[in-house]
Amino acid sequence: MNSLINETGAEILKAIRAPEFLLPTMLMPCAFYSLFGVVLSNGSSNATYLLATYGVFAVMGPAIFGFGVGVANECDRGWLQLKQAVPAPPYNYVAAKIVTTLLFAGLALIPIYLIAGFLGGVELQRETWVSLFGLHLMSVIPFVLIGLSLGFSLSSGGAVAISNIAFLGLAILGGLWIPVTVFPEMMQTIAKFTPSYHLAELALAIVGSGGNHATSFNLLSVLVISLVLLGMAISAWQRQR
Amino acid sequence: MNTALTTTQLSVRFGDKVALNSIDLSIPSNGVTALLGDNGAGKTTLINCALGLCKPSSGRLKIFSETPGKIETKKLIGVMLQDSNLPDLLSAAEHIQLFSTYYPDPLSLEQLSHQCGLERFIHKRYKTLSGGQKRRVQFALAILGRPKIVFLDEPTTGLDIDARNLVWNTINQLRDTGTAVLLTTHYLEEADALADHTIVMSDGNIIANDSTENIRAAATGAVIRCESRLDLSVIRTLTDVRSVKIRGRQVEILSDNPTATLITLLALDPNLANLTVSKSNLEDAFIKLTNDSKLAEAAS
Repeated sequence: MNSLINETGAEILKAIRAPEFLLPTMLMPCAFYSLFGVVLSNGSSNATYLLATYGVFAVMGPAIFGFGVGVANECDRGWLQLKQAVPAPPYNYVAAKIVTTLLFAGLALIPIYLIAGFLGGVELQRETWVSLFGLHLMSVIPFVLIGLSLGFSLSSGGAVAISNIAFLGLAILGGLWIPVTVFPEMMQTIAKFTPSYHLAELALAIVGSGGNHATSFNLLSVLVISLVLLGMAISAWQRQR
Repeated sequence: MNTALTTTQLSVRFGDKVALNSIDLSIPSNGVTALLGDNGAGKTTLINCALGLCKPSSGRLKIFSETPGKIETKKLIGVMLQDSNLPDLLSAAEHIQLFSTYYPDPLSLEQLSHQCGLERFIHKRYKTLSGGQKRRVQFALAILGRPKIVFLDEPTTGLDIDARNLVWNTINQLRDTGTAVLLTTHYLEEADALADHTIVMSDGNIIANDSTENIRAAATGAVIRCESRLDLSVIRTLTDVRSVKIRGRQVEILSDNPTATLITLLALDPNLANLTVSKSNLEDAFIKLTNDSKLAEAAS
């Protein structure tokens, strides 16, 4: 436990000492939301809809980049190898990074929530705010697993490129910016295989704008996708360069 | 003799390439052992197997009778890898603090700082340190857990003289406290200066495994080459002759004292032809050993 706390502390220090990386991933979703959800928006229902989807978008950055690029970089420099040779509890490395990601995901969400509530005119029950926040935080899980697979399989240069594609692709296909219903049918079909799509649907259900699918279908889909991603992450870990 | 590390017919193959070829080895639990060999000889693979980073294709390896890779085994080990950089944005003190939580009875920050000469830069970020300072921090992490065996993969590569002497002193201190040290190096003088025991590897095989003294002795003194009518068994009995070999038409005599050997040799065979005497050192021994093994392989 002591070593997990220390490990997490070290991760947080590393993150805040690289603000040039941390700040853009945290502030970009907030800036986008202010623009599309509030400034260019035509009413609070739009602001509410986009709060649900931009919340998912906000946690994707720290999860995919933090893990994808972070792990690939530490693999490249031989740090992971050393970690595996010393008696560090084996899952601490990943656990500490997950705790750190949750922390920064939470910090990325807070300004969006504040803007939604104070400037966007979003009105929700207190429990609804809390469940939405909980769902948004938990949304990091599938993206962390994607990041891990990328980080273990790619060099740090490759990880930056592929993480960007994954990040933008999942945001668009998941309908986080524009509802997927405006896309051609084929893209809508592909969307159903992305975690972002189902997480956005769940978030929309919480704020009362759901309806495309039953909540149980979305939940089950997220679960199945996460299990597949977990399998991929484990196999990438074992096949590590 | 207590052994720190034992391998039994240990083989590692990567696809077609044989990195370790059925190696039998035991490394004593006290003293410094040097692992010498060219790049690709299998030194790093052997260390990676001991650390549990590389799975044997066949055979086994034990560290103090334990299986590599288990957390309890790792607590007995200290390690400095060849290409392992620590995260840039943490300071040496922060790295040490984190690693201290992995071991039951770690050395204190002050003690390590003093022992490894980290005082001047212990609170600076790793990124800003010089190459030698970085190696010192890595070295500190290797000895932090009071290990029973320390693996040092080229510990002094890229170090300046001061930093190298410091590492050498610390290795000697480790020896004095009864820690087994296994170091790989390209520098023969390093093996010569530090190691009680030297193992020479080539192409995944062990081609020499002896006390450094014996390996050096194979090298100090001199090599006398000549054509002589004398019987090998006679030459073997001459003064200070260590070993005799036939090489084509020549005999090759390894002598601890070439002058004394030559006097007796010339007395018995005044018609000796094509005489050469050459002084050798550990480097020669090493080159000779690796060449011999390559020739033997080519012949077979």
